[in-house]
Amino acid sequence: MKLIFKNLNVLRSTINDISASSDLKEIVESTGTNLSALFDFSSFGVFWKDGHLLHLYQEESCPLSFTQEVVKHTAKVFSALMGETLDVERVNIQVEKRKLNPGQIRMDPKATLKSHLTLPLTLEKEILGCISINSEQPNAFDAQDLQFFSVIGYQMAATIEHLQRLSSIKNLAIYDTLTGLYNRRYFEERFGTEVQQSFTNKTPLSLILIDIDHFKKVNDTFGHPEGDKILRGVASLLKNSVRKKDTVARYGGEEFILILPEAGVEAASMIAERIRKLVESTRFDVGNAHLNATISLGISSFPSHRARSKDELVKMADLALYRAKREGRNRVSLYDPAQG
Amino acid sequence: MGKGSSDQVLELYSNLLLEIWEVVSALIGETVLTLLFHLAMKKIEGKYPFLTSINVSEDGISLDGVKERGRSLPPVEIHRGFQGFITHLFDLFTTLSEGVISRELFPKVIPKVKEAERMISNK
Repeated sequence: MKLIFKNLNVLRSTINDISASSDLKEIVESTGTNLSALFDFSSFGVFWKDGHLLHLYQEESCPLSFTQEVVKHTAKVFSALMGETLDVERVNIQVEKRKLNPGQIRMDPKATLKSHLTLPLTLEKEILGCISINSEQPNAFDAQDLQFFSVIGYQMAATIEHLQRLSSIKNLAIYDTLTGLYNRRYFEERFGTEVQQSFTNKTPLSLILIDIDHFKKVNDTFGHPEGDKILRGVASLLKNSVRKKDTVARYGGEEFILILPEAGVEAASMIAERIRKLVESTRFDVGNAHLNATISLGISSFPSHRARSKDELVKMADLALYRAKREGRNRVSLYDPAQG
Repeated sequence: MGKGSSDQVLELYSNLLLEIWEVVSALIGETVLTLLFHLAMKKIEGKYPFLTSINVSEDGISLDGVKERGRSLPPVEIHRGFQGFITHLFDLFTTLSEGVISRELFPKVIPKVKEAERMISNK
């Protein structure tokens, strides 16, 4: 009875550790670390369907032949679960060797896989992979071990599900659902951070505000679903035209905004002009027709334009955009202090 | 004892599957067991389509559908279908846990399968 209580306590703390994990790697780590207090085993494996990756936590004296048998066995079980053959050669193995049980004598160099418990990892009826504990001892596991191991498997799957939900909630909060770009809320947050850094360190920071020319006409002529296609097309061009450190967001309607850290007037102008030309030369499929859209772009830049706040920098970019529109559209305009 | 009717064979195997469900779900949980039932069903659905009416989910197992559908079949057909299904299920149990699940199940399964065989062969 004492042993069961001890095991239940270990199981409880294992579950706690798994559920407190913040990513897949941590889930595997915390499971591997805790398992040796529950079972006598030589190897713990987590196999992921994506990438055919097999993480193995093994006793440090585990011979290579044993590892190979575990890999072969994992491929066999996974094949049975998926109903398709998984070639051993396709399994990417990551082995971490540890002293699993301090009291344990070294494994026989000729040890072979004698017993195992394997369970599928499932999430919403989809098999993500499987987990296994393996031993060189015959009949190493019993029904209670299986019960405990299945609870661990459930907790791993539940934590993965929880992390996926969190990630999708996070995505909903920062991305614009139509274009896949960051939304305005994220822009405000990000821009605040960038401005603070730039003002403190006196490093350049530029802003490009972009508006699709005559977009209302597209919507009126072809309908909103076709207009949405243009928005997505322009968004994709923008995303692919900026540097890694830049932020592209949908500012609202047919307006987009770019934050360019460490870019002065010259660099921002070059990027803006490149984007303008790219959009101008792209043909968008709208209904049964092809359409050439154009954009107008307004640039403001710190410290060149002497903005004293982030709101002022946005206002300057807006004024520059207004000028680009007024001067005939399909052009890039820099903020002109004489305007404001 | 007369030759078993389709209803009797269906009843016997339904009880057996309920028992398997009860024992194995306590060991590996309903989610994984549901998956294994579906895999075994997939293997046999071409030959014995009536078995696709076994209804399993994380809430449990219901055999009303398979009883209804199997009623019109000869007892021997029902017996072979269930036997094949149980064999596939046991193959999966063995693949996952070697003898651990089977050891818990054999004492319950073997007598019932033998009883079904007697039912079929008795005139």
